Amino acid sequence: MAEQVEIKKQDIESTSIATAYAVVSAILVMLLQSGTIGKIFESMGLRGGYADIYMFIAIAVIGALAVSIVKSGVGNILAIAIVASFFALTLNQEPLVRYLTLGGVLFSIGMYGMVASRNAVRVLMSIELMLNAVNINLVAFARYVDPKDVRGQIFAIFILTVAAAEAAVGIAIVLAIYRNSSTVDMDKFNLLKW
Amino acid sequence: MEQLDMLQAWAQGNVETVLFYIFAAGAIPMAIGVLLDKVIIRSGFMLIGVFGSICGLFLLLQAQFLALAQLMIYAVAITLLVVIALMLTNPRLDSELPTISKQQHTTGFFVAVFIFITVYLALRSESWNHSSHVVDPDNVKVIGLALTTTYSLPFEFSSVLLLAALIGAILLAKAEPEKSVEGNLTDASELAESKTPVGSGAPEK
Repeated sequence: MAEQVEIKKQDIESTSIATAYAVVSAILVMLLQSGTIGKIFESMGLRGGYADIYMFIAIAVIGALAVSIVKSGVGNILAIAIVASFFALTLNQEPLVRYLTLGGVLFSIGMYGMVASRNAVRVLMSIELMLNAVNINLVAFARYVDPKDVRGQIFAIFILTVAAAEAAVGIAIVLAIYRNSSTVDMDKFNLLKW
Repeated sequence: MEQLDMLQAWAQGNVETVLFYIFAAGAIPMAIGVLLDKVIIRSGFMLIGVFGSICGLFLLLQAQFLALAQLMIYAVAITLLVVIALMLTNPRLDSELPTISKQQHTTGFFVAVFIFITVYLALRSESWNHSSHVVDPDNVKVIGLALTTTYSLPFEFSSVLLLAALIGAILLAKAEPEKSVEGNLTDASELAESKTPVGSGAPEK
């Protein structure tokens, strides 16, 4: 019982810290958007054009502090940090760069999941995420660079095909491994032969 | 109040931007949820949300055909496949495994951050040459013509690839008959000993 109360207290603490972090990042992004930050940086002798990158670093540092404080609910803070830095990095950019940056963000998330996940099926999900991020890039190029004969969309169709084949074969391999070794833990797949 | 009116006027002038940020703010947290949720079946369903948001982005980019293909292939077919695989590999659907591997965590984090920063710096400094054309509203026709004329060879190859992948998946996932008779054998030596000399033991290919 006492343990449950303890857990609940931790949850409330991490939620309030995440909320505070969200508010701080939103204020930072709005300041950046109104141009105040750029002027401050120029008065300090730094290049105002790089204000969004400095803001990205600031949001990341505050997020790292928040993660070091909380015990649970790191995912919330991570999500807020990534969304806030995405807003800070793209609000002043042209539309094509926005789409490409979103593709980069989703690709990096998928890359992290592919390297660090323990469940083999989750690794497959991360690979699907990465393929989809590439598709966003291709369709954005088709819309903004080559709108006449939309070649990016045709490549995206081929990626869709390969992704379907990859999902089927990958899941079959996971099932075969599970049947032989009774686990889907990536850390325990250290045998080439069983 | 005045600022609210200004915001409203701005939003009406920039519907595409507003919708883009709404879809992006839906896709990114759900992608993180896919990786970090402790209940793995929920992360399988969150994948549908990510793919749905990306479908909305495709509609914003005037790729209607791809948006619907995305919805049918990714959000329904592939996610269904993943959920079935989850049910087969973890029948009680509990969260025994920790989500993130301790040894790989740092490596993965730094690799991901490094890739993102490199990609962003590369595409930010570039001055892209935009085309002044507008996307043809009838671009399904353009795609169909290109697939059957210029890209007909890759199109045929992809059909062969799909067939091969289908056969390979069935062969890999097919249950071996000896296992179902002898029960769950996990040890290699046990498996080798239990093989009967002729006929009944060998897996059929």
